[in-house]
Amino acid sequence: MHKSILNNLLQQEIISREDAEKIEVFESKKPFSLHWELKSLLYLGVLLLNIGLGFLIYENIDTIGHVVIIVLIGAISTACFWYAVRHKKPFSKEEIKSPTPYYDYILLLGCLTFLVMEGYLQYQYEVFGTRYGLATFIPMLLFFALAYWLDNRGVLSLGITALATWLGITATPQDLLSNNDFSSSAIVHTGVFLGILLTVLPFLSERWGLKKHFSLTYLNFGVHILMISTLAGMMTLEQSLFYFPLLCVAVGFFLWYARTRGSLYFLTVAVLYGYIGLTYMLIIHTESLNFDFMFYLFYFVFSCIGVIVFLTNYKRFIKNNQQ
Amino acid sequence: MIAYNTNWLDALLTKDSARKWHEKGLLSAEKWKAIEGHYPSNFYSPNLFVRIGLAIFTLILLMAAGGILVMILEPESDWAFSAFGIFCGIACIVFLDSRVIRNGRHRSSGIDDTLLYVGVWAILLGLCYSFDYSTPALAYYCIAWPFLVAGSIRYLDRLMGLAAYLCSLGIVLLVVKEIPGLALFLLPLAGMLVSAGAYLFSKSGQKRYAWRHWHGVLMVVELISILTFYASCNFWVVQQAALSIFGLETVPIAWFFWTCTFCVPFVYIYVGLRRKDRHLLDIGLACVAAAVFSFRYYYHVLPLTWAAVICGAVLFVTAYFSIRYLQHHEGAFTYEEDSETSMLQEIEQQLIEQTIANQPGPKPDPSQSFGGGQFGGGGAGANF
Repeated sequence: MHKSILNNLLQQEIISREDAEKIEVFESKKPFSLHWELKSLLYLGVLLLNIGLGFLIYENIDTIGHVVIIVLIGAISTACFWYAVRHKKPFSKEEIKSPTPYYDYILLLGCLTFLVMEGYLQYQYEVFGTRYGLATFIPMLLFFALAYWLDNRGVLSLGITALATWLGITATPQDLLSNNDFSSSAIVHTGVFLGILLTVLPFLSERWGLKKHFSLTYLNFGVHILMISTLAGMMTLEQSLFYFPLLCVAVGFFLWYARTRGSLYFLTVAVLYGYIGLTYMLIIHTESLNFDFMFYLFYFVFSCIGVIVFLTNYKRFIKNNQQ
Repeated sequence: MIAYNTNWLDALLTKDSARKWHEKGLLSAEKWKAIEGHYPSNFYSPNLFVRIGLAIFTLILLMAAGGILVMILEPESDWAFSAFGIFCGIACIVFLDSRVIRNGRHRSSGIDDTLLYVGVWAILLGLCYSFDYSTPALAYYCIAWPFLVAGSIRYLDRLMGLAAYLCSLGIVLLVVKEIPGLALFLLPLAGMLVSAGAYLFSKSGQKRYAWRHWHGVLMVVELISILTFYASCNFWVVQQAALSIFGLETVPIAWFFWTCTFCVPFVYIYVGLRRKDRHLLDIGLACVAAAVFSFRYYYHVLPLTWAAVICGAVLFVTAYFSIRYLQHHEGAFTYEEDSETSMLQEIEQQLIEQTIANQPGPKPDPSQSFGGGQFGGGGAGANF
C-alpha cells in the first residue's frame, strides 16, 4: 500500500528519492507496538483482582478470620500506595507525566482495594457506626487529595463519584439514569447543585492555574448530572417553569463553552439535551390544544432540519483560535 | 461504482500516509505542505461527536417524514405497504446519492450513513412485508444479501460489509443445516471454511492497490471472520448449537472441539506475533478469555472468585514484566505508543471505559477537534 503511494509521490516529483528510501527503510523496520495490548491486560488484571477480592471477602467471612482478610487487603492497598508515593514525581500545578507505565494502574488498584477494605471494616465492625456519611466522606477526601497530589485523572473520577455518593446520588455516566430515583425532589436538587458545582470548579481551578487538565473530567460529569437533573425536574417534578429556564441557561453555558474552547463533544451533548427539553415543553404545553398528530410530525421534521443545518455548520459556530 | 469522489478518497489515503511520515520526521514540513496542496480533498467529514449528533437527528427526521407520508398516502393493503416501503427506501437512496454525496460532499458525516441504513432497511422491509410466518429464514437472507453487498461496495460502508458477511455466513449455514444426517458434523466445518475463505479473500483484497478504497470494509470482514472461525470450533458454541438445533445433549468428537477451543487462540496469538498482525493477536487474546469461560461453563474447577483473583494477578504480573522487558530490550516489539490506532483498539478503549465504572466517558481533545487527524475536511464549511 505505502509503496504505491510512494511511487505516486515520486512520479509527481513531490518527494525526492532519498525521502522515499528513508520511508521505505522505516516502513520495513518499524517495531510492532504492544502498547495497547499490554495496557489492556493491565486494566483487566486490576479489574479482575478487585472484583475477585471484593467477592472473596463476603464469601469467606466465616471461614478465614476477619483479621487475615483485612490484613491481606490492607497490605495490597498499602503496597500500592507505597509504590505510588515512592515513585512519584515532585508536585506541580501543571500536568505531570506518569513516572512509570504501570504507575496509574497500581495507584488505581490501591484506591479500589482501599474502598473494598473500608467497606469490609464498616460491614464487619461498623467502624463508622451509623454515620454512613463519614464512610463515603473519608475515601472522597483521600481520592481528591491523591488525585491532586499525584496527578491522576482516574483517581479524580473516583473522587467525584465518592463526592456524589456522599451527597446521595450515583454519578457514573452509565448508571446515572438507572440507579437514581429522579422522582424525588431531594435527588433532583442535589443533582442540580452537584452539577453546578462540578461545572464551576474547573473555572476556579483554571483561574488559580491549578491542574487545568482536570477540567474536562469535571465538566464531563457536570454536564450530564446537571442536564439530567433539570430534565428530571421538568418531567417528574412537573416544575417546568423553574427548571426549563435553568436547562436553557445550562445549554447556553455549554454552547458558549463549546464555542470558545472548540469542544465538539459539549456542542453535541448540549444540543441533544436542549432538544429533548424543548420538545418536552412543546408537547406538554400543546396537550390542551388538541393539535393533530400531523402537527407534531411536522415539528419533528422542521426542528430536525434546523438542528442538522446548525450542526453541519459547526465550523462557523466555533471560534477558531488558530486563525 | 463508488458513490464518493474517488480522487478525493485517493487524496485522503495519500495524505494520511504522508502525515504519519511527516510526524515521524521522515518528510520535511515543506514537502508535507506540498503534498497537502497537491492532493485536495473536499469531503464534509465532521468530528465523531458531531457525526453521532447528526446521525440521531437524521434518524428522527426520517422517521417523522415517513410518518407524514403514511398519514397522507394511507397505504392499506399489504401490497400498498410493500410498495410504500420500497418507494421510501429508493427515495432515501436517491436523495443520498444526488443531494448528500454529490452536492453536499458528505462522507461519513452521520447523515449519509443514516440515509443508507434507513434506505436499505425500508427497501428490505417493503420486499419482505407480504411474507407470512411460514416463510423460511433462508428467503429473508437471500433477499437481503444483494442489497447488503451492493451497499458495502458502492458506499464503502463498514457496517454494511459486516452485515453482508454475516448474511453470507447465515445463508451457507442454513443450507448446510438441511443436509440430512451429516448436518451436525458439517455445520462447524462449513462455518470454519466460510470464515477461512473470507479471511483469505479480505487479506488478499487488502493487498490489491486497485481495491484500496475498500480497505476499511475488507478489514471489518477480516476481523469478523477471525472471530467466526473461532466460534465455529468453540466447544460451547457447538454444544449450544447442537442442543438447540438437533436437541442433542452430547457433542460427537468432543475431543476435537475441546482441542480447537484451547489451541486456536494460541495459534492466533503466535501467528499474530510472528507476522506482526495486530488483528490476529488482539482477537487471539480475547479468544483465550472465551476459552476459559467455555471451560468454566462445564467444569467448575475453581470457585469464580478465586478464578478472578488468580487470573487478575496473573494478567497483571504478566503485563508488568512484559512491559519491563520491552522497555529494556530493543527489538521487533516495543511498548512505545503507536500513532496509528486500529479500529479494534478504539472499540476496546470504549469498552474499558465503560467497564471500569468510575472512568469518565470519552473525552474530546480540544486540539483535535478541527479537521486534523483522520478528518480530512479542509474547506468544508458552508454546505448542505
